[in-house]
Amino acid sequence: MSAPRTAIRVDGATLLVRTIGYGFIGAFALVCLLPFLLVVGTSFTSESSIARHGFNLWPRVFSTFAYKIVFENPDLIIGSYWVTIGITVVGTAIGLFIVAMTGYALQRPDFHYRNQISFFIYFTTLFTGGLVPYFLLINQYLALKDNYLAVLLPGLLSPFLIIMMKSFVRSIPHAITESAKIDGAGDFTIFLRLILPMTTPALATIGLFIAIGYWNEWYNAMLFLSPDMKYRTLQLFLYGVVTSADFVKNSAAASNVDLRDLPLESMKMATAVVATGPVILLYPFVQRFFIKGITVGAVKG
Amino acid sequence: MNKVKKLSAIVPVLTLAAGLAACSGGNGKEASPSAGEKSAEATKASASASASSSQAAGAADTSKFVKISYVILGDKPKNGQFDAALAEINKIMKQKINAELEWKWVEWADWQTKYNLLLASGDPVDLITIGTDWLDTWGNAQRGAFMNIDDLLPKYAPVTWSSIPQEDWAESKYKGKIVLIPENAYTQWVNHGFFYRGDWAKEAGITEPVKDWDGIEQYLQYIKDNKKNVIPWDATAAVSTFGGWVNSYTKELELPISTGWLPVFTTKSVDDPYTVVSPIFDEDTMLNYATKMKSWADKGFWREDVLNYKGDTRTLLKGGMTGLDQHHTQTFGTLRVDMDREQPGSELQMYPFARTNGNLLELSITHGGTSVGAHSKNPERALMAYDLIRNDEQIYRLLNYGIEGIQYEIKDGKRVLPAGYDPKKNEFYSDFWGGRNDKLEIPSSTVWDQLPTTLYAEYDKIKHPYPYGQFVFDKTPVDAELTAISQVTGEMGPSIAFGKAGDPAKAVEAFKTKLKAAGYDKVKAELQKQLDAYKQQMQG
Amino acid sequence: MNGPSAAAAPSDAGPAAQAIAPKSKRRTAWRTLLGNRTLLLMCLPAIAFFLVFSYLPMPGLYLAFVQYNYTDGIFKSPFVGWDNFRFLVITGDLWRLTFNTIAYNVMFILLGNALQIAVAILLNELRSKWFKKVSQSLMFLPYFISFVLIGLIAYNILSYDYGLLNGFLKMIGADPVKTYSNPHLWPFIIVVTYLWQSTGYGSIVYFAAVMGLDSEIVEAAEIDGANALQRISYIVLPWLKPTFIILLLFSLGGVLRGNFGLFYNLVGANNSALYATTDIIETYVFRSLMTNFNFSMGSAVSLYQSVFGFCVVLFANWLVKRMSPDNSLF
Repeated sequence: MSAPRTAIRVDGATLLVRTIGYGFIGAFALVCLLPFLLVVGTSFTSESSIARHGFNLWPRVFSTFAYKIVFENPDLIIGSYWVTIGITVVGTAIGLFIVAMTGYALQRPDFHYRNQISFFIYFTTLFTGGLVPYFLLINQYLALKDNYLAVLLPGLLSPFLIIMMKSFVRSIPHAITESAKIDGAGDFTIFLRLILPMTTPALATIGLFIAIGYWNEWYNAMLFLSPDMKYRTLQLFLYGVVTSADFVKNSAAASNVDLRDLPLESMKMATAVVATGPVILLYPFVQRFFIKGITVGAVKG
Repeated sequence: MNKVKKLSAIVPVLTLAAGLAACSGGNGKEASPSAGEKSAEATKASASASASSSQAAGAADTSKFVKISYVILGDKPKNGQFDAALAEINKIMKQKINAELEWKWVEWADWQTKYNLLLASGDPVDLITIGTDWLDTWGNAQRGAFMNIDDLLPKYAPVTWSSIPQEDWAESKYKGKIVLIPENAYTQWVNHGFFYRGDWAKEAGITEPVKDWDGIEQYLQYIKDNKKNVIPWDATAAVSTFGGWVNSYTKELELPISTGWLPVFTTKSVDDPYTVVSPIFDEDTMLNYATKMKSWADKGFWREDVLNYKGDTRTLLKGGMTGLDQHHTQTFGTLRVDMDREQPGSELQMYPFARTNGNLLELSITHGGTSVGAHSKNPERALMAYDLIRNDEQIYRLLNYGIEGIQYEIKDGKRVLPAGYDPKKNEFYSDFWGGRNDKLEIPSSTVWDQLPTTLYAEYDKIKHPYPYGQFVFDKTPVDAELTAISQVTGEMGPSIAFGKAGDPAKAVEAFKTKLKAAGYDKVKAELQKQLDAYKQQMQG
Repeated sequence: MNGPSAAAAPSDAGPAAQAIAPKSKRRTAWRTLLGNRTLLLMCLPAIAFFLVFSYLPMPGLYLAFVQYNYTDGIFKSPFVGWDNFRFLVITGDLWRLTFNTIAYNVMFILLGNALQIAVAILLNELRSKWFKKVSQSLMFLPYFISFVLIGLIAYNILSYDYGLLNGFLKMIGADPVKTYSNPHLWPFIIVVTYLWQSTGYGSIVYFAAVMGLDSEIVEAAEIDGANALQRISYIVLPWLKPTFIILLLFSLGGVLRGNFGLFYNLVGANNSALYATTDIIETYVFRSLMTNFNFSMGSAVSLYQSVFGFCVVLFANWLVKRMSPDNSLF
């Protein structure tokens, strides 16, 4: 948050910008919200109503049937939640640390090898060996089949985030590092004690991205975690719920129900709500880290 | 956001639309309609092995305990019933051959990728489900995915070996070596057709079983005119019916090669199965089809936006919200029972496409079967396990039906649901399509019991033997062209099939032009060449 | 005092800023290594990671040039040269696909970034904490809605018979629209959907960057009499330039890689009426390989996309190096 303002006159242009700001952002936020409300509303609508009238914001015929089916195996879905949360938390913590550390090192102008290493990392975004070698690597050489690490490890780092971090850290003047070095501090200590606390917005951003990446992760789980595992990731579980017609057809909740009411569409919506719900709450929590970094007033002259 | 995926973006993440395939059986998923089979030319040579079932199972060394993996397609059931049955099976297995079965499920999510990756990565699978028309078995055989089991079969799977006649083994060979065990002794009909409601047909004045597409048209028109809120055929564009049209209105036979969304190459007839023709280029077959489908679209038989519609026609049929569905006989067997329950009095009927012209071929015996993985560490024990699965009555029942008393009871020679049966808690399926056996099958009350007396009887009267059992098309000389052709059929096929391509004549012309550009002539020539050689092999 | 130009990295001071009396080359190199050893160590986890997960599988690209035999493995399979690429060029569609893919990506990049920057800047100008928090959380939502759902929702809105759009049009007495038969509407629909889905999420990067702007500079400018527009134009936008350039360069590497999920679910796999304006490389290849599954061909396409992106990035990076060298990617 900015320092308390002195009495500066708010001029016309500023007012204009603010009005446009509130208007545009407000409208856009609304546009973002509405389809989501559509999803939520439809998830609570009876299937026959959906068949007749399509999706709607407000359920014409209210029904929690879809949720009953999704939560039918509470053990499985809770297990999936925990697995996903665990992977997300651990992965984000480790990944964020490594990204920050690497990003800092790479922006140090006195780091002789920074350009080469940057290119080394960046190059991996251009060329990829493809699915078969990747599958062989994880499945055979690293022997991570049916192992949560198969989902955790590949998602730890991404060149994009490292380069982003590099860019963020660069805005902290090198003078800080230099003066700390003069005081005798080592590179790592400087990073840990001095720089890291200054980059909270960057850390928050990157941490958020990593976390969301893990939360949405589906492909690696699909490839490497077989049904032999009791609990798999949330997205994979929910995908299975949606595509497995038998699941619905033969669930106890559905056995005495008019087939017109079998919650197929509403179930797809319900799984989306179930998957997204917790993450929505994550952002407000992270938002508080988006404070202006400690200014460089600390090092003047 | 701006992240670049590490994996090849080509491989589709979601293949919801990719033909959900599988035979029926326990859980009622359907087989992919296109009879595409990758094949390479089978060289002759197979000597006649002695069909005698001599040999002692005791000759095999079973001193070491091993686990045998069997790769199956499907979503693992969550209610523990399959695991319970498997435990029982393994008790017997352990006792008889000192081994246990591991059922490896390849789930429907992106199954094509996973199934092929499993083989490509050299995973040491022991047994794996195969199907020459939907799992690219010949292609995989050519790529070295399966083990040759000629020598192992007589010794380790003697019952299976002797129960399968030599001509059927001949159809299981790649370059002269046996690479799969066919599901040849299981009565299945997966020929396609339309399912329509008998009650509505009667109302429409259709008194006899529908025997051609005009009859269907009459039926659909009736629904359009008289049933409010019902879309006559609420289809999705995943359904490809051109092959059916060819089946109904010509004598041509479909070839076991895949050209994507609809068949491009056929052969003349049962009397001349070695001359390649095309229903698209050689007569007006496609033009007639396109015109007819356009008229159906204009009449409003399906949704305006049918090409993007993602609903489930079968569920809608069961809910009384549509009047037509399309799939094969096996599906009809279970669907009829479902419909009798959901829409009592509907008397679901099937119009098989082959009925119009009597153009019906028997099913290829390699539509289902089992292979041994090329890197299996215990092929001998794997085959012994297979022999038991296929021929041991106790294991067979446990594997296919579940535990007696819980999943089924036997009354009057049929399987019925026990009194306390709860669909959710007791539902059972194993998706075993690799060696079912008529001898051990017990008819079920969930399959329409009049199937044998109606449709099967009709089929037995008109069926012809399958002429391409030993034909394995080697597509390597024309792989690129075939891929390009598949792209073209996938691109333009659906719009023509659902009348959304504008003027039919122009659309078909444009389609032909594109096919030619994709290499139609080259593929046709290669196909003819290989068929000529096959003819030599069969007749010479 | 550090002005906004501090955002741009202090110009590269060249190798090792330490003043070492030049000895023999070998000793200098060793010294550099020693001097940088902590920093090197700090980079080690990342280097190891990419070595294992990216560089180790990379030779697998060779798959694009062979006829893959599972027993022989990738490197011993028979070499077939360019054969695996042929299916792309046979029908002459490659140009159209390349053009479509690039056109969409350029639109996504330019419009996407512009919108994200606008959102970040505007957000920063607003005073109400509550409003900022809520609106940012809301703008986040679309990112979590999977493409499958987006496709379903879009169908529900745009379909001819029962869609919300036509229902609304009929209500106000206008003619219903056959959206799914009209290819000209779709570039617009696709771009808008993309922007809707990714703007909130993407604006966070810019928002965080703006946070790094020294507030003293801003206040100084205000005291000097600059109004909001001037502040934005002369202080904030230049501050964001490096971030934009980096994101731009980064995206260009994937300029030939389409967003399969978006196109496949919105346009579907069966509606050829729309392909002229919506078909991209990924969807085309999906149709090709759906029944003729072939790893080598998939690999070939990926290689084409990679090489293309690589060339584009090399060129763009060279351009950037000439204009503002501090912002180049490498």
